[in-house]
Amino acid sequence: MDNHHRSKRALAIGLALAIVFDTAGQLLWKFTAATLPSTASLWPTIDAMLRQPLILVLVGVFFCQLINWLKVLEHADLSYAQPITSLSYVSVCAFSAHLFGEHIGPAKAAGILCILSGVWLVSQSKPLAGSGREK
Amino acid sequence: MSATLAGVLLVILSSAIEGFAQVCLKRSAIVSIGKFRWIALGVSLFIFEALFYTGALQRLDISTAYPLGALSFVSVTLFSRWMLNETIDRGRWIGLTLIVCGAALVVS
Repeated sequence: MDNHHRSKRALAIGLALAIVFDTAGQLLWKFTAATLPSTASLWPTIDAMLRQPLILVLVGVFFCQLINWLKVLEHADLSYAQPITSLSYVSVCAFSAHLFGEHIGPAKAAGILCILSGVWLVSQSKPLAGSGREK
Repeated sequence: MSATLAGVLLVILSSAIEGFAQVCLKRSAIVSIGKFRWIALGVSLFIFEALFYTGALQRLDISTAYPLGALSFVSVTLFSRWMLNETIDRGRWIGLTLIVCGAALVVS
C-alpha cells in the first residue's frame, strides 16, 4: 500500500514536471521561432535556428523534458499521461495573460474549462490499464 | 497545391509523426533490450516533426495552425490503441474529446 502511494505520488510529480518543462519549452520555442526569417526552404531555416543562442537553452529544456517523460511512461499508459500534459495549454495561456497582458476572452475561458474537465476525466482512469499484455 | 492546403497537410503529418514518436518512447519504457534504439528513433522523429510543423507555421495563419495542432492528442491516443494495445475506456475518450476542443479554443 505504501509502495502504491509512493508510485502514485512519483507519477503525479513526474506529470507536474512534464507540464512545467512543456510550458517552458513552448514559450522558448515560440520566442525562437519568431526570430527566424520567413523562408520556405528547409536548410536556411535549420541554419538560422542553429545560429540562435537561445537554441542551447531550448535543447537543455528538451533534454530534461525527455528524461522526465521516459520516467513517467514507466508508470503510466501513453494514452493516460499524454492527454494530461494538455494542462500546459492552460499554463501557457495564463502565463501569456500575466506576462504580456493578453486578454482571456470567453472562448479561451471555455477552452480552459474544457481542458480542465477533460484532464480530470482522463486522470480518473487507471494509469496503467492497458500495457499489461506487453511482453 | 495552395499554401494553405500544403500547410494543413504538414500539420496532419506532424501530428501523425508525434503519435508514432510517442509510441517509440513508450516502447523504450516497456522493452528490456534495445531501450536506447527506441529512444533514438523517437527523438529523431520529434526533430522531423518540429521541422514539418515549422514548415506548416510558415504557410498557415497561426490562428489556423495552432488549433489544428490539437490533433496530435488524437493521434497519440489512436496510436496507443493500435500499436501498444492500450485500453482506452470511455472516460479517456470523453476526456480526450474535451481536451481537443479545449486546446483548439485556447489557442484560437
